[in-house]
Amino acid sequence: MATAGADCYWPRAILHLDMNAFFASVEQRDFPELRGRPVGVTNGEVGTTLITCSYEARAHGVKTGMRIYDARRLCPDLIQRPSRPGVYVRESTRIMGALTNLTPDVEVFSVDEAFLDVTHCQRLHGTPEHMARWAQTLVRNVSGGLPCSVGVAGTKLTAKYASDVLKPDGITVIPPWEARDRLRDVPVEKICGIGPRIAAFLASHGARTCGDVAALPMNVLARRYGVTGKHLWLACQGRDTGAVMHDVAPPKTVGHGKVLPPRTTSARVVETYLRHMCEKVAGRLRRLDMQAGRLYIGLRYGFPDHGIETVIAVPHGTPDGRQFYESARAFLQAHWRGEAVTQVQVTATHLINTSGQLELFSPEEVRTLHRFDAIDRINNKYGEFTIAPATILERSTMPNVIAPAWRPDGHRQTIPD
Amino acid sequence: MHITVSREDLIKPLGIVAGVVERRQTLPILSNILVRMTPKGLSLIGTDLEVEISAHLEVSGSQGDMTVPARKLYDICRALPAGAKIDISLEKEKALIKSGKSRFRLLTMPAAEFPAIETSNWEHSVSLPQKKLRWLLDKTMFCMAQQDVRYYLNGLLFEIGPKRLRTVATDGHRLSMADVDVSNSLEREKQVILPRKGVQEMIRFLEDSDEPVEIQIGQNHLRCNLKGLTFTSKLIDGRFPDYNKVIPVNQGKMVMVNREAFRETLNRAAILSNEKYRGVRFGLSKGVMTITAHNPEQEEAQEEMAVKYDDEDLEIGFNVNYISDAAAALDSEEVEFNLNDPNSSCVLRTPGSTNNLYVVMPMRL
Repeated sequence: MATAGADCYWPRAILHLDMNAFFASVEQRDFPELRGRPVGVTNGEVGTTLITCSYEARAHGVKTGMRIYDARRLCPDLIQRPSRPGVYVRESTRIMGALTNLTPDVEVFSVDEAFLDVTHCQRLHGTPEHMARWAQTLVRNVSGGLPCSVGVAGTKLTAKYASDVLKPDGITVIPPWEARDRLRDVPVEKICGIGPRIAAFLASHGARTCGDVAALPMNVLARRYGVTGKHLWLACQGRDTGAVMHDVAPPKTVGHGKVLPPRTTSARVVETYLRHMCEKVAGRLRRLDMQAGRLYIGLRYGFPDHGIETVIAVPHGTPDGRQFYESARAFLQAHWRGEAVTQVQVTATHLINTSGQLELFSPEEVRTLHRFDAIDRINNKYGEFTIAPATILERSTMPNVIAPAWRPDGHRQTIPD
Repeated sequence: MHITVSREDLIKPLGIVAGVVERRQTLPILSNILVRMTPKGLSLIGTDLEVEISAHLEVSGSQGDMTVPARKLYDICRALPAGAKIDISLEKEKALIKSGKSRFRLLTMPAAEFPAIETSNWEHSVSLPQKKLRWLLDKTMFCMAQQDVRYYLNGLLFEIGPKRLRTVATDGHRLSMADVDVSNSLEREKQVILPRKGVQEMIRFLEDSDEPVEIQIGQNHLRCNLKGLTFTSKLIDGRFPDYNKVIPVNQGKMVMVNREAFRETLNRAAILSNEKYRGVRFGLSKGVMTITAHNPEQEEAQEEMAVKYDDEDLEIGFNVNYISDAAAALDSEEVEFNLNDPNSSCVLRTPGSTNNLYVVMPMRL
C-alpha cells in the first residue's frame, strides 16, 4: 500500500492543462486596450453567440454559449471581438509543442486542453506538482503570459476535474490515494463524459454525487451504457484507466459543415454553401492522399430533427470538389422543396489511402493530378481558396470554426493558415 | 441406392467437388453434394450457384440419388485407412457410410431440391492440353481484383481468338496477360470473364499433364470438360476494359535484369517499405539500379544492383509487390523492364517474347 508522502512516486501521474478563457486571453494579450475589461469572442462580426469570454465578463455572470444579446443585459460594457481561428490554432500548436519538453506523452484534447502523462518523468523532473508548475511556466513563456490551470491526479478524468477547481492560473493536486474521498461530494456532471442524460439516469437511481455513484453496483451503469458505463463508474472513484493517447487514429471520415444565415431559402445561397463544403472536403482529402467511396450530404431545416440527407456512392479517384458538388446538387434538386435551411454538411466516407498509386484505366488522371497539385500548392502558400471555383466567391464570410477534434498536426489540422 | 467404392477412387474427385461448397451457406442444401447413381456410373455434384463441379466415377451398384453434407462425407472418407472399401447406401432418409467396422449415418436432403445450373447452348469450344491452361492461369490470375466496385475486374478475361487463347487480369493498378496457341480456331475474337471463384476452383483440378481439356463457352457460362470431370461456371456479365489501350507500345527506356537477383533484391527492400502501401523508389543510371524503401518509422533499405541500362537517369516509384509478383511469375533467366517516365506504366516480360507480359502503373513518391 502506498503511503501518502511527498517523496513517494505516484503509480500514475497525469496532468490536465486547461488554457483559461483561451481565445479571450489571446485577444487581451494582443490588444492591450482589452486587458482588464469584459471581452466576448464571437464567430466573426456577425456571430450572435459567445464562443468564449474573459474572466472580467464572467464576473458579471456572462458564460460561454450565451447569446450576445443576453450577455449585454448582464454586462452592458461587454466588448465583442470577432474570433481569429488561425491565430488561436498557431498559438495552440506552439503551446502543445512546448509541453513536449516536459514529457513526450502529450495528448492534445482540444485546441485549449491537453493531457500529459508524467508517470515516467517523476525521477527525472521531481514531483507531479512540481511538474505542473513547470508546465505553467512553459506555457507562460512560450505564449507571452497566457493563463492556464493545471489539474494533477492519478487518472485522466480526475486530472480533468482538478484543473477546473481553481481558475484562472491555479494548480489543484489530487493524489491517487485521496481521489476517492475528494470526489465523494462532487456532483456527477462535473465528470467529463457525464452529460445531462446520463446524469438524469443516475439521478433516477438516487445518485447525484460521485460518492453516490460509487455506492451503486457497477452493473447498473454497465447494463445501460456498456463499457462506457463501467468506465464512468470507475471515473467517479478516481479509478478510470484511459491512457494518454499520443497518436491520432487515421481518419474514417472527412467532413465539413456550416451554419447558414437565418431563414435561408435561396437556392443559390444553399448551392454556394454546398459547393464551398464540397471544395473543402475534396481539398482536405487531397492533402491526406485519400479518396472517398461515399459522400454524405445533409441539409438541416429550421426546426429540430428536420432536414434531408443521403449517402451517394462516388467512384474512387482524385477528389474533385466539382464532382462532389454535382452529386450534391442532383440530390438537392430531387429532394429540396425550398424549406429554410439552417445548416449544410458534406462528409466523405469509405476512405481509401492511395498514397500516390496511379490508375491504369484513367489516362486523364495524371493531368488532373498536376492541375490539383498546382492549385493546392498556391492555396497552401497564399491561403485557402486563393484559387477557387468562381461560384464560391460568394461563399460565407464566417471564419472557420475550430472543431473539438482539432489537432495541431495530421488530418485533424483543419484550420488553414 | 447402394454403391461400393474404394477410398482411393473416391477421395480425389470428392475433394474437388467438396471444394466448391462454401463453408457458410444461405441455402442449407448448398452445403450438400448430390450423389447420383445411374447406369453410366456415379456422379458427385457440388455447387455454390455460381460454380458447379461434377465428377464421374465408374462404379457398380444400384441406382438412386440423394444429397449428403459435403464436408462431413469428405472428412470421413479422408480419415478412413488407406485401401479401405467404402459402402454408401440410403437408409430411411439417412446416408449410411460403412467401411470395415466403422458406421456413419448422415442426414440427407431430397435430390430433387438440389439446384442445378441451367446452361444454354454452347457457342464456341476450344481444346488444349491441361498444362497449357494451367500455365495461363498461373501467369495471370494473381492480378485479378478482389471485391472491386468495378465488378468486371473481379475475374479473369478469357479471349479466344484465331489460333490463340489469351487470359488477362487486372486490378486497375497492374495487368497481366498470357497467350497460348490452340489448334481450333475461331473467325472472330470472343471475350468472356470468369469470376474469381471459378478461376480459383479451376486451377485446383487442372494437372500439369498433356491430357486435354475442352473449354466450352455459352451466352452466360463457361464449361471445362476433362476426363471424369465437368466444371461449369457462370460468367461475369460486364465489359472488360480495353486492355490493349493500356499496354504501352513505344517505350523509350529498357532495363535488363537478372530475374533471380532482382527478386531477391526486391524482397529485401520490401521489408522496410510501408506495410500498407508498399512503395519503393527505383533509381536508374547507366549500368546501375538502386532501390530504396522507407517505412513510417523512418527506417530505410537501400539496394544497388548491376543492370543493363544505357539511358538518362530516371527515378520512379512502384508498389514493390506488383513488381516482385511479376518477376516471380516470369520464367526466364533475364527480365526485360520497359519504361518511359515516372508517370506512365512500365512493362515486364521475358526478353523478346510476346506471349506473357505484365503492365504496372507507378506510384507518385
